[in-house]
Amino acid sequence: MTWWSVVRFLHVLSAALWVGGQLTVSLIVLPLARRLLDAERRATVLNAVGRRFGMFTGAVFLPVQIGTGVAIAWHKGVTWASLAEPGYGRILAAKLALFCAVMAAAAVHGWASPKGLPGLARTMAVAALVGSVGIIVLAAALPAT
Amino acid sequence: MVAWLGLTVLAALAGDALPAPRWLLVHLFLLGAATSAILTWSEHFTVTLLHARPPDPRWSAARLGTANAGTAAVLAGAALGPWWAAASGAAVIVAVVVWHTAVLVRMRRRALPGPFAHVVPWYVAAGAALAAGGLLGGLLISRVVPGGAHERLHAAHAAVNVLGWIGLAVLGTLFTLWPTVLRTKVSALTRQASRTALRLAVPGLAVAVLGLLLGWRQVAAAGMALYAAAAAVALAPLVETLRRRRPTTPAGWTLAAGVAWFEVALVADLVMVAVRPAAQAGRALETLLPLVLAGFVAQTLLGSLGHLLPAIAGGGPARLKRNAALLERGWRVRLAAANLAVPLLVLPVPGPLRLLGWALLIGSVTAFVVLALAVVLGPVLAGRPAVPGIAGVLLGCVLTAAAVVVAVQDVPGTTAPGTTAPAATSVSGAVSGAARTVEVTLSGMRIRPGTIEAPPGTRLTLRVTNRDGQRHDLRLSTGQSTPMLDPGRSATIVLDMPATAVDGWCTVVGHRVAGMSMRVLPTASAASAGSAGSAGTASTAQAAHDQQMSGHDMNASTGRLDLTAPMSAGWKPYDATLEPAPGGTDHQVEIRATEAELEVAPGVRQRVWTFNGTVPGPVLRGRVGDVFTITFVNDAAMGHGLDFHAGALAPDRPMRTIQPGERLTYRFRADFAGAWLYHCSTMPMSQHIANGMYGAVIVDPPDLPRVDREYVLVQGELYLGEPGGQAQVDKIVQGRPDGWMFNGTAAGYDHAPLEAKAGERVRIWAVAAGPSDGTSLHVVGAPYDTVYKEGAYMLKKGGPGGAQALDLAPAQGGFVELRFPEPGTYPIVDHDMRHAEAGAHGVFRVSAP
Repeated sequence: MTWWSVVRFLHVLSAALWVGGQLTVSLIVLPLARRLLDAERRATVLNAVGRRFGMFTGAVFLPVQIGTGVAIAWHKGVTWASLAEPGYGRILAAKLALFCAVMAAAAVHGWASPKGLPGLARTMAVAALVGSVGIIVLAAALPAT
Repeated sequence: MVAWLGLTVLAALAGDALPAPRWLLVHLFLLGAATSAILTWSEHFTVTLLHARPPDPRWSAARLGTANAGTAAVLAGAALGPWWAAASGAAVIVAVVVWHTAVLVRMRRRALPGPFAHVVPWYVAAGAALAAGGLLGGLLISRVVPGGAHERLHAAHAAVNVLGWIGLAVLGTLFTLWPTVLRTKVSALTRQASRTALRLAVPGLAVAVLGLLLGWRQVAAAGMALYAAAAAVALAPLVETLRRRRPTTPAGWTLAAGVAWFEVALVADLVMVAVRPAAQAGRALETLLPLVLAGFVAQTLLGSLGHLLPAIAGGGPARLKRNAALLERGWRVRLAAANLAVPLLVLPVPGPLRLLGWALLIGSVTAFVVLALAVVLGPVLAGRPAVPGIAGVLLGCVLTAAAVVVAVQDVPGTTAPGTTAPAATSVSGAVSGAARTVEVTLSGMRIRPGTIEAPPGTRLTLRVTNRDGQRHDLRLSTGQSTPMLDPGRSATIVLDMPATAVDGWCTVVGHRVAGMSMRVLPTASAASAGSAGSAGTASTAQAAHDQQMSGHDMNASTGRLDLTAPMSAGWKPYDATLEPAPGGTDHQVEIRATEAELEVAPGVRQRVWTFNGTVPGPVLRGRVGDVFTITFVNDAAMGHGLDFHAGALAPDRPMRTIQPGERLTYRFRADFAGAWLYHCSTMPMSQHIANGMYGAVIVDPPDLPRVDREYVLVQGELYLGEPGGQAQVDKIVQGRPDGWMFNGTAAGYDHAPLEAKAGERVRIWAVAAGPSDGTSLHVVGAPYDTVYKEGAYMLKKGGPGGAQALDLAPAQGGFVELRFPEPGTYPIVDHDMRHAEAGAHGVFRVSAP
């Protein structure tokens, strides 16, 4: 139990909040909202949820995730060159790339929602969700140390 | 129909695994998608053009299904074994095509003579070509062919299938498809041109294939020329049609682009076969494969699909129009991307550009497949509003799949390339006769993996890549070899594993003896190589992995350190930065003798004896007249002592050996300036120094000018093995080090360069710790303007002279000063090159000021 455990804990916790939050919204909140709320109130509620989640992403999730991630990588002695090496480095690189793609999808979702492009917004939201589950898969595949 | 569309999708998805085994990609696409397409379309066209009675659809479906089962057998058999599965798959495909051709012939016989009957012979010729090509493919995979003939057979196989089966079928189809796509009537020239072209093409192809098969280059080139002429003749009516009416639809443009690439490929192939040396002539088509595949086959396929799919999907005129519009979406971008990608894939462009080519191509094809799926599945999904959700899931899955492919690619156990896999790559195959691909890299005077193990009878494909800055090749003792590879280039060798070991080496003069050799061992006799001596014991799992690797590299073939291997994760270099002397004239230091396990060369861990856990021990710095008080504690398992060269005193008390757990105080005044050695004073000192018990004391000369950076390098020898063990002591006594180290790691500063900026003055202090060798310290590209050795300036800044090396005998020290003229990478070496090449080597990374 060192300070590095704390950093790792923050990294995992923040990821859990983000992915879990998306899953909760998609699997529980959305179906219930569709069933229980009329169209107008549903839009209001979902917009608010989306905006709050976006704020959480920008203000808490991204800084914590990137900060702790970089710190852990530094602690593990990851270098740019080692990212290309098969094994830990390659998996980490793939995870980072997928993370960037998911963030891009989430950003497009955030941009498309208020612009009245529900199709695109939904596509991107689901893509981000599936992609972030993929990130968890890759994270689980990182060799333990 | 949907079945082969699915295969196309599969081919595109497999493309996501970009550098996946090329064979699989090629055959997935050509055997899976293209062959199914030809089977379907040729029957379809024959029926429509001849107004013949369509054959029983059940039998047609049976043929298609059987062909696809054969394809699956070939793919699975070749990728996973056993080989006879693949061979029988090839036989099935050949049989189906022969059956299919017979059906076509019978239809033509029964039909009334019509204006388009001339098309059918093309299909028949194509079918015959596939029968021949499939036979060759079956032979290739069935290991009955000796190594030498293999390559020729391969070339013939590729030529007859691509030019014959696909080329002839497409040319034949184009006679009628092309005018249809352009929505105009068939050219008057068609009939005559078709007859003449076929009469030229068939013998041309036969001669070309025969020439390739027998290795007669001129014959092959002549046949190819004949075939090219036939293609030109066949093109005449198409061009005539084109002049009458310009293509307006995307299908038209795509088809035109496809045909254009076909012509380009033909000409390039012809030139390559004619011009290249005989040994490489057979590979001509292989280098052009991306061009043929992406440029010609894929675009022809997409073009005809784009034209025919709306009609096939059916529905009323409105739906037809809507579907056509859907397929045309973004076609200009897609067409441009695909055609931009083709040259990028073929020409020798740098890696990133090639990757861009792949991305463009796959993006373009995937876009089409998605649109095509939308057309086909449109009615199924019409009633459901969930499309964005499905699209999202699909997108997420594709992203994740791509990331997973990147992540697991080349992980040991799957394809096991050199950089990751333990140096001894074990190719395990339960079934003797399996086929395996091993990545082999040439770099830094090493061949990785150094040892490959495989059961006898395995078909080993060595994908050899030159990752070095100079040219290398790989030659096997079986006589097979790659061409001389320029940096970054790859080639493959197919080796049918014999029961005896096969040696491999680089044939460039001097490279083999410098360590560029490898062995391929039959599994049974491989056990000894694995256990042959390990350099040290590993402490963490990761280190174990790397250590195993270089341990193997050292022992397997050459007995030398692999200095270009990566350092283990978590390795930190000894900090060479020299801090200014602390203030005050009294220096209190505690030094503990301890044992530690350190990474003394990339991936090699060694048990060492240390002062304070590092090699060298802590650097002490002061000015003339300063007093150093050292509290020395022995935390090790044996007796140790201290000897500071910088102090003047009777050795009897302070330099005595103390036993584990004891301590002593060693006080000396630094009366003289210089770079001094300190070391363990316990006999035999050769062993104590050789195992790491040394360090530096820097006593600044009065009025030492300020410089921008100061570094200190303590050079020592590296003797691997159990410290104090017989083997190691023998090496120490005989002066046969395994390497030389700056600050305790051989080539450590190659992996963690020393930093400086252009124009800065840098002072490098150096001490030669030995125990046996001195140094001739030289910085490549930066002469010294100041040299201070053993208490005196030998060269001072400002004069006309300069110096190139600081020579130090064991236990001498000094410093040099220099200014790096411009940004760059400047090696610092012991110019006794034997030392430099075995680890007394580092680099300064000089950045812009």
